[in-house]
Amino acid sequence: MEFNPLALNLEEIEKKYPDSPLDFFKDKRLCAFKACLEKYFPGVRYGILDLANELNLKLSVCEGQSCCSGTFFQRNLITRAQFAAINERNLYELNSQSDIVLFSCNGCYNSVMRGRDFLKTPEVFQKTEKILNDLKIQMGKKKEDDQKYKILENPSVRFIHDLDFVYLIRNEVLNVLKYNLKDLKVAVHYGCHYLNLSRDKHTVEGYLKDKTKLDELVQLFGGSALDYQEKDSCCGWGASQILINPREALKITHDKLQSAENVGADFLLMPCPTCLYTLSKPEYREKMYKWFGDKLEIPTIHLNELIAILLGCEQERCMSLRRTTPRLKEIFEIITND
Amino acid sequence: MDQYSDSDWNWDFFKEMVEDIEDNKNIIECISCGKCVGDCPAAKISNFNVRKIIAKVLRGNKSVLKDSDIWYCYLCEKCRRLCPRDGINIPLLIIDLRNESFKKGFGPKYNDLNKYVEMSERFLTSGVVVEEPLGEPLPLERIKELNIICDFARINYVFKASKANKNKIKNKKR
Repeated sequence: MEFNPLALNLEEIEKKYPDSPLDFFKDKRLCAFKACLEKYFPGVRYGILDLANELNLKLSVCEGQSCCSGTFFQRNLITRAQFAAINERNLYELNSQSDIVLFSCNGCYNSVMRGRDFLKTPEVFQKTEKILNDLKIQMGKKKEDDQKYKILENPSVRFIHDLDFVYLIRNEVLNVLKYNLKDLKVAVHYGCHYLNLSRDKHTVEGYLKDKTKLDELVQLFGGSALDYQEKDSCCGWGASQILINPREALKITHDKLQSAENVGADFLLMPCPTCLYTLSKPEYREKMYKWFGDKLEIPTIHLNELIAILLGCEQERCMSLRRTTPRLKEIFEIITND
Repeated sequence: MDQYSDSDWNWDFFKEMVEDIEDNKNIIECISCGKCVGDCPAAKISNFNVRKIIAKVLRGNKSVLKDSDIWYCYLCEKCRRLCPRDGINIPLLIIDLRNESFKKGFGPKYNDLNKYVEMSERFLTSGVVVEEPLGEPLPLERIKELNIICDFARINYVFKASKANKNKIKNKKR
């Protein structure tokens, strides 16, 4: 079976719509993949929904889609075939309801691509087929549900990460923003699964590509993107390292936060709620203070939350009062203070 | 520096790993340059050393399955990006080594296994890893599907073990 690439071809869109890439999305059904950790950061979901609304795009939230299950594969709790089968069921649901799926989480985006990649190995393909076939029998499904329990040969749906999406249509986004970053200094964190996913290392361009989008967005929105020593480092989550080796994992987190603070960043910006969870959770900040003696107070914000703030959303909708990250309210007030 | 003669190389372990996952055959291309270790987050805070792990596998040294080293990997894929050789999938090798470690009865020492048990429970009862997720819950039919797919997976054993544990505690309280 041939597998067509599922990632949206951004270069093609830029060539066909050089003046207004937004036009490509206007007649498409868009849906937002539900990342589990959006529960703690509702602004991550509302930010992209509100942006789409401002741009008159048809964006809904994906239905019938489970957790991507990447975390269980990474911890050896499910096999490649089981992971691929879960992924195929999600893919069927996404393919039925949308043309393009937007991802707010590096982990989810990586999982969906990886699940598909595993199917290129014949042994995994066969095992996944068997799992889906057994599933169909056990669910007591009829012939018309055939496609639901098969590996999709050439799904029409395409995937795009929110960072790539916002960057692609950045000029149109800028036009609908109510506020700007007022020269705030921003340390950006891309996250491992965005930075390291299938990178072409044979050319300098391939190596550097994509690594500047968040920096450029910060500049475009009126802030300054700072360079800092730990910019490319992991957030510390490390596929649940925090549960196995918490002290070591939080050392990575600590070094990252400290490095951003040391260069005078006002906040840390990232395109992934898992990284955001690791870098902002109060319990982890307390542990870091206890183990390493540093009280780290730099606020952390997801790209979608920032978009929500710049669009002029209410604080509760952008960031939620459940967030107790220090100084976050301060940043919100600086940006939205007329 | 370690010196190895031809008799130090035992290909049995390597062959087992390749039988398990064919992609592992590419680790024989490793030139031991150490780029994977240079920018590895785990290497910064532990003795985790991918170059040494690959060398152990190629030498047939199964002590790698008992070592805690393989559990330090962050699966960030930076090594895969930096590796000058094509096709060496280090994160997949690590996942496979961890699988073998589990099969042999080793496995990691979880500092907080409860959190993982909770996540597994939630995934198999509601299709997500958090309580009260944002938005509409997953339909029951889809949750049933996840349970069927994971029927013989380790996640299911973790889930069943936690249910049995909870029943024990309930019965004790009575």
